[in-house]
Amino acid sequence: MNVLDRPWALIAEREISTKLRDKTFIGSTLVMLFIVMVAVILPAILAGRGGADKIAVIDDAGAKVVQQASTTQGGDGYEVVRVADRPAAEQQVTDGDVKAALLPGPDGYVVLGKDRVDAGIESALREAAAAVGMEANAAKAGLTPEQLHSGTKVDVQLLKPGPLPDLVSQFVNIGLALVFYMTALGFGMMIAQSVVQEKESRVVEILAAAVPIRSLLWGKVLGNTVLALSQIVVIAAASLIGLLATDQADILEVVAPVAGWFVVFFVLGFVALAGLWAVAGSLATRQEDLGSTTLPGQMILMIPFFFSVFAGSSAKTVASFVPIASSMSMPGRMLTEDVPIWQPLVAIALLLGATVLIVRLGARLYERTLLQTGRRLGYREALALESR
Amino acid sequence: MLRVAGLTRRFGDHLALDDVTFDVVPGRMTGFVGANGAGKTTTMRIILGVLAANAGEVLWNGELLTQEVRRDVGYMPEERGLYPKMKIRDQLVFFGRLHGLSPDRASERADKLLERLGLAERATDALETLSLGNQQRVQIAAALVHEPIALVLDEPFSGLDPLAVDAMVDLLREEVTSEVPVLFSSHQLDLVERLCDDLVVLSRGKVVAAGSVADLSAGSTSTYRLVVDGDAGWLRDVRGIEVRDVAGGTALFDVLDEAVEQKILQEALSRGPVREFGPARVALSDVFREATR
Repeated sequence: MNVLDRPWALIAEREISTKLRDKTFIGSTLVMLFIVMVAVILPAILAGRGGADKIAVIDDAGAKVVQQASTTQGGDGYEVVRVADRPAAEQQVTDGDVKAALLPGPDGYVVLGKDRVDAGIESALREAAAAVGMEANAAKAGLTPEQLHSGTKVDVQLLKPGPLPDLVSQFVNIGLALVFYMTALGFGMMIAQSVVQEKESRVVEILAAAVPIRSLLWGKVLGNTVLALSQIVVIAAASLIGLLATDQADILEVVAPVAGWFVVFFVLGFVALAGLWAVAGSLATRQEDLGSTTLPGQMILMIPFFFSVFAGSSAKTVASFVPIASSMSMPGRMLTEDVPIWQPLVAIALLLGATVLIVRLGARLYERTLLQTGRRLGYREALALESR
Repeated sequence: MLRVAGLTRRFGDHLALDDVTFDVVPGRMTGFVGANGAGKTTTMRIILGVLAANAGEVLWNGELLTQEVRRDVGYMPEERGLYPKMKIRDQLVFFGRLHGLSPDRASERADKLLERLGLAERATDALETLSLGNQQRVQIAAALVHEPIALVLDEPFSGLDPLAVDAMVDLLREEVTSEVPVLFSSHQLDLVERLCDDLVVLSRGKVVAAGSVADLSAGSTSTYRLVVDGDAGWLRDVRGIEVRDVAGGTALFDVLDEAVEQKILQEALSRGPVREFGPARVALSDVFREATR
């Protein structure tokens, strides 16, 4: 009924409710949300998947070609805009009301563009015109369209379907590493700040008198892990909606199987780092000290991040086993390569071991340094401190 | 009863506490005085478990003070501190729950204390927007919110004006029942004399005097003070006493033989009007100065 047995829950609760009311936190989450939405939706809009391109025509033959092109594209690629004559079509093209105009030419058709004609439109119209023309010619020769096209269909079969094309996989790799890097760094700094704030305001003395210091640490780590995960879930949900809204849901089939692994790697890596960040806070006595006490934490994040982004593939394979670095590179590797199942399992085992060690060491340092309010301490100095 | 037994604490080579032993009795306010650096705060931090002792123990009703029991103690540290940006009501509720109250009970207590302190309409203001005096009130409320079984207050009244001190004292008297031992340290000896029932004097890590304020300030019970109209020089010829000081009609003397002070009173009355006669009380500041010399 009360929190006597689990004071860490209350600490975590305070940590969460404070952050949820913090305008900076809400603001930065919204900014991230916005960036992700833009990143998801913008390519779709740029790729022209947002709506059908309008093509002006002046006769039935042109309209038929445009419809044929549209059918080939999957139904709603192009929209026919009927105009009276060539000058009217030219006017529409010049004004940008239509992307292009398809007019009858001396031997077939002319595609009219303003300063250029979109390559996709050009080839689609070319193909459609050819198809329509050939069908018409074939009909004159007594062939049905089926007869005309028989034996000309080309299917593509992949022997080893890679999960994602090269460029995309590179992008996804960096993206996943970046999500971990940004979240761990952002929340890490927040943890360190909230610890040093408690030291600065001396409230830590009352907290330490009321509950074991370890509970304070657990509460902070737990609260911030929950916050970080929910932030990621919110952003993931937003990008999901964005993907669905722009018809890109096919990406999900590739990402979904790795999502569970990502969460495991994320939580373990995050908790290990959170312990370190809390220590960074407890070594400091003022906000200004954080620059130097958080340096090791920043390094532990930054080096594997750049490594996992820029290293060659064999180096990346090694990195995906090294604790913390594995949180940034293993999920990406699993997404873009065929990784045998034992690899992530071994990486998780290593990460779990490292997390336990780091958190234990962190708890010890935290206990010894939290109530030292005199001056900033170094890590080596803190290790040498006797217990209270 | 809260008992501190044989506490010893070293910081490097410096012996901060040397076998400190005293009791804090329920229902009585125990003043804890001593010069800066005498070890008051160190003692209090050890009682609260924030600092460990090299030797000695803290007992609650004869048994070792455990973490569970300690959570029910109210503590106001020397260096004040609450969350600057947290709303004061949320803050009190948080500390109430931290000390084991249910959420409902914690809210109830927070409201009551804010009402009592005249801060009810500022309940949703951040602590840092309050005046320093009001912040101090909230700090006391934070120590009281969970209905503590004992109170340890480190310099609770420093920085408060006399009216605010009175208000705080009223609040303490109201909140603290007769089962609750209260230990508070202070530099303001007049305040300690006025508020405290018992006194512990600490000097360089050692307890140099302890007992009830009445006993301690009575000094040696054999010193008397006499004020008469006219000159009191005749006292110098009386046997069985030792005159400490005579200035005009005011005299201070130690009684050596039993009951001789009654004879002196009669003698004085026979010589003229007596304005004052009785055992001389020693100011607490003198006790303090004497003890810490």
